[in-house]
Amino acid sequence: MSGIAIQTRGLTKHYGSVEALVDLDLDIHAGEVFGFLGPNGAGKTTTIRTLMDEIRATRGTASILGKDTHKDSVAIRRDLGYLPGDLAMYPNLTGKDTITYFANLRSGVDWEFVDALAERLTADLSRKVGDLSSGNRQKVGLIQAFMNKPEVIIMDEPSAGLDPLVQRELQKMMREVAGEGRTVFLSSHTLSEVQRVADRVGIIRHGKLIALETVQALRAKAMRQVELELDTPADASVFEAVDGVRDVRAQNNHVLMTFGGDMGALLKAAEGRYSIVDLSTHAADLEEIFLTYYEDEEVAG
Amino acid sequence: MLASVLLKTTRDRWRGWTIAMVTLAAMGLLVMATYQNIDLEIFASMPEAYLSLLGLQGDMDVGALSIAVVMGSYGAMVIAAMAFTMGAASIAGEERAGTLGLLLGNPKSRRHVLISKALSLVLFTTVSVAALAGATLLSAALLGVSTGDMRVGALGVHLFANSLFYGFLALFVGAWTGNRGAALGVSIGVMVVSFFAVGLLPLVEGGEGWVRIFPWHYFDGSAPLYNGIAWGDIGVLLGASALLAGGAVIGLERRDLKGQSTGVTILDRIRRNPTADKLIGRLAGAARVSSIWLKTASEYQTMLLVAAAYVFLIQGFVLGPFYSLMPEETLAMGDQLPAEMLALFGGGDLSTAEGYYQIETFGMMAPIVVMVVTIAIGAGAVAGEESRRTMGLLLANPVSRSRVLAEKTITMVLFGALVGLATFGGVALGSVAGGLGMDIADIAATCALLILVGLLFGALALAIGAGTGRTRVAMWVAIGAAVFMHVLNALGEVNENLAGFQQLSPFHYYLGNDPLNNGMDWSSAALLAAVTAILIGVSFPLFRRRDIRQRD
Repeated sequence: MSGIAIQTRGLTKHYGSVEALVDLDLDIHAGEVFGFLGPNGAGKTTTIRTLMDEIRATRGTASILGKDTHKDSVAIRRDLGYLPGDLAMYPNLTGKDTITYFANLRSGVDWEFVDALAERLTADLSRKVGDLSSGNRQKVGLIQAFMNKPEVIIMDEPSAGLDPLVQRELQKMMREVAGEGRTVFLSSHTLSEVQRVADRVGIIRHGKLIALETVQALRAKAMRQVELELDTPADASVFEAVDGVRDVRAQNNHVLMTFGGDMGALLKAAEGRYSIVDLSTHAADLEEIFLTYYEDEEVAG
Repeated sequence: MLASVLLKTTRDRWRGWTIAMVTLAAMGLLVMATYQNIDLEIFASMPEAYLSLLGLQGDMDVGALSIAVVMGSYGAMVIAAMAFTMGAASIAGEERAGTLGLLLGNPKSRRHVLISKALSLVLFTTVSVAALAGATLLSAALLGVSTGDMRVGALGVHLFANSLFYGFLALFVGAWTGNRGAALGVSIGVMVVSFFAVGLLPLVEGGEGWVRIFPWHYFDGSAPLYNGIAWGDIGVLLGASALLAGGAVIGLERRDLKGQSTGVTILDRIRRNPTADKLIGRLAGAARVSSIWLKTASEYQTMLLVAAAYVFLIQGFVLGPFYSLMPEETLAMGDQLPAEMLALFGGGDLSTAEGYYQIETFGMMAPIVVMVVTIAIGAGAVAGEESRRTMGLLLANPVSRSRVLAEKTITMVLFGALVGLATFGGVALGSVAGGLGMDIADIAATCALLILVGLLFGALALAIGAGTGRTRVAMWVAIGAAVFMHVLNALGEVNENLAGFQQLSPFHYYLGNDPLNNGMDWSSAALLAAVTAILIGVSFPLFRRRDIRQRD
C-alpha cells in the first residue's frame, strides 16, 4: 500500500437539476482492489466517467496516479485500463482487430499476454464482435483493459454477462493485479462479487458515499443476527431502545434482531427484565449490511 | 400498442421530419417568389421531355408551376422517402437494432406489432401531406399567388396514396427479409426507375402504354392538380398498399427473427474463399486498424469507391464521347431551354462542352456525390462513435479528444479530395476521348472548388456532430443547409430580387464565376477554404468542452 492511486475531493456532477454525484471524497490506495457498490442509478457510472474525463465534474477534483483527471487525462490513460459499463464495440471488427486497434493507439501490446488472457477467459478473438453474445463481447473488453498491465484498472460492472467460471477467473486476475502492487477499481451491484475480491468497499447511493470500509471491518463491525430465548414473552420495545439494534421481531419467548453494537449493552438490557434461556448469533452477510446502510440513509435523508 | 408505437416513432423522427418540412416549405416559398418575377412564356418553348419529367404542362401559371414543382416532384419524393424510411425501420430496423425481440416480449403478436407500425406509418404520411399542402397554400396566400382552380387537395390525396405505397413496399420487403438495407434499396430503386420511366416513356413511340406498370404513373399520370382525384388510380395505389401490408403480415409470421448481428452479407460469403478474401480485404480495407484516421478511412472506403467510380465513369468519362455524338438537333433543342430552368441544375450552356458538363456533372450531381461522402464522414466523426457508444472505449486510450477529431477530419478531407480528383480525372479523360478540347487547368480549378464546397458542408456536419454528439442532427442540418443554399443560389440566378442573397450561398463561390471557362477564382476558393477552416476550428473546442454522450 504505497501511495494513493485514485483520489477525489468534493467531486460533484449535476445534470441540470439532477445531482448525480455529490461531494465524493475517495482515496484508493495503490495495490488494492476497491469495490464501488450501489444500486442502479446511484452514481457509480457517473463517478467512473468523470474519472475517465468523459464527463466533466460540476465542481471538485479528481486525480489518478497523482495527475489531474481532466488536465492530464492523456498522460493518465497511458497507465490505465478501462472497461466501460454496458460495453459497446465496433461490430464489424473481430476481437483481434479490436485489440490491434487499441494496441496501435498505445504503441504496442504483448501478444503473448493477450493470448494468455484470452485463454484464461475462454475468449474467441477470431469472430466479429457484432456476432458475439454479450458475455463473449465482455471478455474482449476485459482483455483490452488488462492487456497493457496498467497501473490502474477501472471497470464498470466487469462481470456483467459472464458465467460463474469466468467470473471466478476474473476475480483471480484482479487479485493478481493487486498482488503486483497495481490497483483495481470496480463498480458492482453484486455484493458477493465484491466480497470475494475487494479489499475495501465504498457504498454509494443517490450520488452520496454512505459508507467506506474495509470488507473485514464491514463484516466485523458488522451487523449480526441475534436470537434470544427468554423465560417470559418478549417485549420488542425493550430491545429497540438499545443502541445498534434494529429490525426487532418478537414472538412469544423468542426475539430476533439485527444487531451492530456492543453485545454487553444488549445483554444488560435483556437481563434487567428477563432471564436468558438461550442465545445464538451469526454474522450477517454483506447483502444484509448493504440493506442496512440503505435504510440508514433513508431514515437520515 | 398503437399509441406507444406512435409515440416512439414521433420521438425518433420529429427532428428529421421538421427539417424536411421546413426545407420543403422554404423551397415552395422561394420557388413561388421566383416564378412570380420571370416570364413564364419560356416554359411553353421547353422541350417536352423536360416538362414531362417534371410533370409540367406548357401553359402553366405561377401557382400551378410552383405547386407542381414543390408538391408534385420534390415534395412527392421527400414524403415518399420519409415513408419508405419509416417502413424499412418498422420491422427490419428494429431487428437490426436488436429491439424487435424486446418489443415482442410484450404480450402482443407479431401481427399486432406490424399493424400498429403500419397504422403509425399511415398517420405520419397523412400529417406530412397535410403539412405540405398547408404550407403550399400558405405560401401562395402570403405571396398573393392565385391558386385558382388548382386542386391542391386532390394532388394531396394522390401524394398520400403514392407515399403510402412506397412505405408499405419497404415494410413488406423488411417484413420478409428482416434486412433494412434491402427494404430501402428496393423502395428507392422502384421510385427512381418509375419516376424516370413515367416521365420519359411517353416520349418514346409505343411507350405510352407501358407507363401503367410503373407506380409513379398512378400518382400524377392523371394530372390531379387539374383534373381532381382519379379514384381509379388511387384505388390501384391503395389496393397495392393493402396487398403489400397483407403480404408483410404473412412474411413476418412465417420466418425466424434475426438477432442483433452484423448479418452475413454477400461480401462475407465471397470472402470465405481465401484468395478473394485477400483481394477484397485490400479493396475494402476491412481491418485497417493501425490508426484512427485509417480505421475511419476503412469504414468509408466502400462508399468512397462507389462515389469515385460513379463520378469518374458516369459523370465524367462517359459524358465526353456521348456529347460529341449528340446530334445537332438535340443541342439546338438545348438552346431553347431557359437558363432559369437550368439554374437549378447549376446552369450552363448546352452548346458548349463546358456548359454541358456544368449541367450534367458540376451543377448538381458532383456536389451531391462529394457531399454524401464528406457529410457522412463529418457527421459520423464524433457523433457516430458516441451514438454507437464506442467513444468511451476509444478515449480510454492515451489519445486526446483533439487527436480523435483531427484524425477523423483528415479522413474527411482526404476522401472529399479523392472524389473531387476522380471527377477531375473522369471529366479530363472524357474531354480528351470526346475530342472536346476543354481546358485541363479549368477543369482542375472547377474540381478544386468542388472539393472546397463539399468540404464546407462536411465541416458543418463535423462541427454540429462535435458540439452535439448527435449523428442525425449533424447530418440533417448539413443536408438541409446544402439544399437550401443550393436553391437559394439557383433562384438568385433567375430572380433579381434574390440575387443579393446569392452571396450568402457557398454554391455561389463554387460556380458563380464560371470556373470551367474562366479558370480558378482564387478569392472564392480562399473564402470557401476559410469558412471550412473556421467550421473545423470551432469543432475542437466544442468537442473538448462537453460531456461525452452515453446513450442515443
